[in-house]
Amino acid sequence: MTLSRKEKPDEEAPAVQLDSVALRYEQGPFILKDLNLVLPADSIRFLTGPSGAGKTSLLSLLYLAQRPSLGAVKLFGTDVTAANRGRLPAIRRKLGVIFQDFRLLDHLSTFDNVALPLRIAGIAETEIKENVTELLSWVGLEDLMETRPAVLSGGQKQRVAIARAVVNRPQLILADEPTGNVDDEIGMRLMQLFIELNRLGACIIIATHNEHLVSRFDFPRLSLADGCLEEQA
Amino acid sequence: MIDLRSELPLGGDSATAYIPWLVAIMVFLGTLAVSGVNTFDSILQGWSRSMTGTLTVQIPSAASETSLSETTAQIERVVRALNATQIVDSVTVLSKSELNNLLAPWLGDDIGDSDIPLPTLIDVTLTDEAPQTVEKLRTAIAEVVPNAVVDDHRRWFGHLIELTEGFRLLALCVACVVAIALALTVVYATRASLAEFKDIIAVFHFIGAQDMYVATQFAKRTFLAAFKGSIGGFASGTVTLLLIRWLAQNVESGFLPDVSLGLSFWLTLPFIGILAALLAMVTAYITVLGTLRTMM
Ligand SMILES: Nc1ncnc2c1ncn2[C@@H]1O[C@H](COP(=O)(O)OP(=O)(O)O)[C@@H](O)[C@H]1O
Ligand SMILES: [Mg+2]
Repeated sequence: MTLSRKEKPDEEAPAVQLDSVALRYEQGPFILKDLNLVLPADSIRFLTGPSGAGKTSLLSLLYLAQRPSLGAVKLFGTDVTAANRGRLPAIRRKLGVIFQDFRLLDHLSTFDNVALPLRIAGIAETEIKENVTELLSWVGLEDLMETRPAVLSGGQKQRVAIARAVVNRPQLILADEPTGNVDDEIGMRLMQLFIELNRLGACIIIATHNEHLVSRFDFPRLSLADGCLEEQA
Repeated sequence: MIDLRSELPLGGDSATAYIPWLVAIMVFLGTLAVSGVNTFDSILQGWSRSMTGTLTVQIPSAASETSLSETTAQIERVVRALNATQIVDSVTVLSKSELNNLLAPWLGDDIGDSDIPLPTLIDVTLTDEAPQTVEKLRTAIAEVVPNAVVDDHRRWFGHLIELTEGFRLLALCVACVVAIALALTVVYATRASLAEFKDIIAVFHFIGAQDMYVATQFAKRTFLAAFKGSIGGFASGTVTLLLIRWLAQNVESGFLPDVSLGLSFWLTLPFIGILAALLAMVTAYITVLGTLRTMM
């Protein structure tokens, strides 16, 4: 792996900061109520809570899929709630998101799926080939580079999704139920990867309702219940 | 080289499937319209070339048999007056059979035998074509035969020019209407594709794609679809033109002037297609930007 510690432009700024964040869909009830949180750039956290607690909703605020109904979300010191649309792509490029449903592009090969963030960032094709090939071998998919996601197993898809999320060396990794589709062994390898990436300086949030997984690692935990967030060491 | 590869699926959305057909029709119509205007122009130019510096004097036919000699005298007077002006190159009095030949397409072959009073026509070529010389001739002829009519074809020609301008305007309107129809369809098709590819575009966004990037993907895709249509429209338009030319050659060309569309015309033809493809591309690009602006 050629992951290296990235230079941090906002040396002091926390990776994530929530100021009185609340979220409701349309005119529905508040799913998230008055969340306040500060995560330093090198933190790693579990985000726990029962199904329907709002874990995915909270992550979606962080990967800029929607704005909060109230309050402010700040990433790397930038208030993304107020930020001009044009500034968002640069912030999104610092994020690596592993979606619960992967969201791989079915019309692209494994290689092209993983290469997409680099292509969008305008990286040279030779560099892309080198990086993507190396990363895919590392997650054990070197023989499936030209395969379309549709024919991959759940666990293989997940590894493609992870490779795509980390290929541009993000400073904040958001993983939504990343071990949901994989067996224990791959789940453990995945966790090792997150720990490694965190050691290299990335802030990591792993949403899960898998208590078994949580109990095996002693990361601090953010738990969501009744729309409120509680930090547990 | 421009990279036309798109990260979007090439097929799969129904809306884009219409674009090649629409562009093909547009290019086909455009090709015909342009060639129509060109043909008309070149017919007009041919006429105009053969007509400047010429005029026709008409001496109305005498009402009765007795005044036949009077008509002959009038003709002589006119010819003399014309020659006296010294700006006349040649004077030809059309014989009765020449006149019959001219009129045969309209009035039938046996016109010569009928007793329809026919005027006498005198073809005049001038050494000098300034408008005032025509006026000079007009007065000279009016002095000797007051009821002779001098026709320098200007009136008739003026109408033709108006007609050509109208035709050109019509062709332009047709082109505009088709272009607007194309643009509107591309807007509609692009919106439909955006909706169909919503999830893909969301992924582009999440991994940090700028609006311009997404718009470019759509623009490339639309350009390819439109270009395919352009080629079809260009090919069918060209074949149609060649067919019309071939048919026209086989038609007995009584009063059809020989028209050949010049090299410059054939060279402009491909640009109609390229223009249509570019229009589709730019429209798609702008539509995507407009739609994305409403997202976070
Ligand atoms: N797009 C949406 N529109 C309306 N309601 C939603 C939407 N997404 C999630 N919800 C609701 O918000 C609540 C929290 O959902 P979610 O964030 O997916 O929880 P979790 O990921 O913890 O299971 C649920 O009640 C869910 O029905
Ligand atoms: Mg969820």
